[in-house]
Amino acid sequence: MYLVIVGGGKVGAPLASALINEGHEVFVLDNDAEVVANLQRELGMIATIGEAASVRALQDAGAARAGALIAVTDSDEDNLAACQLARTNFDVPRTIAIANSPENAELFDLAGVDLAVSATDLVLANLATALPAHPLIKLMPLADRSLELVAIKLPAAGTAIGRTLSEITLPYGSKIVLMITSEGHSKDPDSDPPIEAEDQIIALSPANSTAELWDLLTELR
Amino acid sequence: MNVIIVGAGNLGSSLARKLSDQGHRITVIEKDPKAVSLLPRGRVDSGAMTIIHRDGATGAGMLEAGISDADVFIAATGKDSLNGLAAQRAKLIFRVENVMTVVRDEGARTLYDSLGISTINKADLASDELVNMLTEEA
Repeated sequence: MYLVIVGGGKVGAPLASALINEGHEVFVLDNDAEVVANLQRELGMIATIGEAASVRALQDAGAARAGALIAVTDSDEDNLAACQLARTNFDVPRTIAIANSPENAELFDLAGVDLAVSATDLVLANLATALPAHPLIKLMPLADRSLELVAIKLPAAGTAIGRTLSEITLPYGSKIVLMITSEGHSKDPDSDPPIEAEDQIIALSPANSTAELWDLLTELR
Repeated sequence: MNVIIVGAGNLGSSLARKLSDQGHRITVIEKDPKAVSLLPRGRVDSGAMTIIHRDGATGAGMLEAGISDADVFIAATGKDSLNGLAAQRAKLIFRVENVMTVVRDEGARTLYDSLGISTINKADLASDELVNMLTEEA
């Protein structure tokens, strides 16, 4: 697929490289001549100098034939404008943007960006993986952020250990979709398996019930 | 009417002055405390015009400027995309009735038209058409 990436910096450069390795045709737009020169040196003639939020620059980057536009500059306003101009002026079917400021993730959703990734949520997710003390990982927002897919790691000394899923009353609307053992094996929640120490639970949760779900599954004896 | 203007550059200051002349209540949000020399000092000192030194594209800045009581929101900074983001926050999050944004890139007009946000360029301002438009809409 032909993909336009807006912003070739700390996020955009490795993203471009990864997407090229996956077989996509990638073009990067950045307003910094040095960033563009670096990209051209490392990846070939796949980058040009241009303002993120300029119709002309998006045209030069071939937005009209792009399957998706991914805006990852450190300027939220440029990310939003690039996505919206790609959609209205070039009919790009899918737009993705990073919201560096968390409050902008909601605005991006309302403003029609197909996928708004909150940089804060990403850092928190990585932090949660790195720190066993934070065993709640928000994997993905769904349905306009009213639902979220989360991963919860169960502490060995938790009250849930040794019981089965059916013995636990989950918050309304929550659903366990998968259980993964500490060895990396999956357990089917529908077969009502016993809950073991260090299991990871993947759950679909209404956003306002996630804290309650986490409390319930990680409560200590 | 209560009018919030983001940006105290040439455009923002000129708009603030003209709308204030017509008796509207003006609040200007300008991040840079040194960049408000174009605003009419007397109006500010007498309390007829308020200046807020915050980032006018953020929810916090808008709330401090009294966005919940605003009839008109005008994004008039020097950067199109920042104006677009501020205008959309005013419209989509704070539900301000009448939202306008300064757009220099002609190609971006279609976008804001489709969002129900009026676009302003320098020519509109010079011809006073904008001020008339605002008064008629009110």
